[in-house]
Amino acid sequence: MTSRASKRLGTPRPARVRAGAGGVPVALEGATVDSVCEDWVVEDRWWTGRPLRRRYFELVLDDGRNVVVFRNLADGGWFAQRG
Amino acid sequence: MCSPVVVCVLVPRFALLAALGDRGALPAQPVALAPEAGREQMVGEVSAPAEAFGVVAGMRLGEALSRCPELRLVPPDPEGVRGLWHEVLDRIERIGGAPESECAGAAFFEADGLRGIHGGDLGGVLAATRRSLDSSRRAKSEPIKDAGRSPWWAKGEAEDAERRSFSARLGAGPARFAAYCAAREARPRRAPVVIEQRDATHFLAQLPAALLRSRPELGALPDVLDRLGVHTLGELAALPSCAVAERFGHPGLLALDLAHGRDTPLEPRRPPEPVSERIDLPEAASGQQLERALEMLIARVLARRERRGRSLRALAVSARFVAGGTWRQATTLRSASADPERIRLALGGKLAELPSPAESLALEVEAFGPPAQDQGRLIDEQGAARRARLGEAVRQARQAAGEGAALRVLDVDPESRLPERRSVLAPFVESTPRSRR
Repeated sequence: MTSRASKRLGTPRPARVRAGAGGVPVALEGATVDSVCEDWVVEDRWWTGRPLRRRYFELVLDDGRNVVVFRNLADGGWFAQRG
Repeated sequence: MCSPVVVCVLVPRFALLAALGDRGALPAQPVALAPEAGREQMVGEVSAPAEAFGVVAGMRLGEALSRCPELRLVPPDPEGVRGLWHEVLDRIERIGGAPESECAGAAFFEADGLRGIHGGDLGGVLAATRRSLDSSRRAKSEPIKDAGRSPWWAKGEAEDAERRSFSARLGAGPARFAAYCAAREARPRRAPVVIEQRDATHFLAQLPAALLRSRPELGALPDVLDRLGVHTLGELAALPSCAVAERFGHPGLLALDLAHGRDTPLEPRRPPEPVSERIDLPEAASGQQLERALEMLIARVLARRERRGRSLRALAVSARFVAGGTWRQATTLRSASADPERIRLALGGKLAELPSPAESLALEVEAFGPPAQDQGRLIDEQGAARRARLGEAVRQARQAAGEGAALRVLDVDPESRLPERRSVLAPFVESTPRSRR
């Protein structure tokens, strides 16, 4: 039986984020955050032993890029992700 | 004319043993296979203690529980049974046998051609069969060489080896039915029962006519014979063939042949070409996610090198449930096809029959059809020609760089709140003109 792992797209990759007051990002990979367009929380798999809790931010950086990052509320790590 | 010697390998209650996961011995308590999910509520194979309570296979669940309130129900595992039984058939093939097996638990093969390689007599063939079936019991700690083909539920090597040992009964006779009856008389791991051709009629004469139920086409005959006062195979064999033919037609003549120790020739299985793919479903998937998973499985199967351009004739969808147990549904396509859309339509309906949440979904090719040949067209279609060129390019790329050389983005769960769950990379399905499918 062949069992190959699926090649998922849009998997999160670790990101260097500096957070300010209230845990809101102020810099991503050295680039300053110009504005936060939106933020939201995703909770899933709460019925399993590995619940998933993320706080997402859609950011506009001062170089003009529009990016989405999230903070893993379970371990505090920051990740960037293509939406 | 000298008839061949047929050997029967019989493992009674095989499906129950496989579902229990311990083939050493059945528990001393009453146990039965639970009804398959979504099927009629009847118990499957039952253990001997359950039989002592009057519970038999095929009995309605309510009646079985009222007869034996302590009855323990075991979830059926058709996927595991199939994998395990294929292991038995593989073992028989390893000693040179060409087994025939219509159902898990009973296999037959001719011994004549094997005498030369196993000591020159039937005893050598039977001993080799026994050694082959028992080898894993002795070498429990040896690593499993073909672990990649081991059943999915086998956890460790030792456990796997334990699961691969069998307490089979061996019998030999001049034909399939006689060998089956001989194996029934044999005891597990004891000397096989061998019936010579000249003794076959006498041996069978004492046995109950109910044994004819071992042949699916004769399932209803023993009851009718019983009502007519024919209780043993000897009483059946004593009837004139013209009277049997007039009363029962072809099934009656077949039963008469069996009672005389004659049977139809064996039809050994064709060596399997296992082409299967499995996807783990991280969450209990349903609806669109299941359909997408099936779509991806089809794409993967069609991209396998082993297909060698052939169309698919028969496929089986199987699933492992979150709550334990497995499910399997086989489908034979009306016409062999390599068209993913047509295959998806044929299999999609099966997913609706999935009785409970699955944690993995698998697709296996049970039979291949003829190669998907290119046919000429009366009307030239630019789009078709373009697709054909693209398909050829993909085939060449795969030939040079492997199956992963051409992929496509497949939306698995486009509405998911988590971006990584929305899309996956799946094998690119070669576009071929309709006439090739």
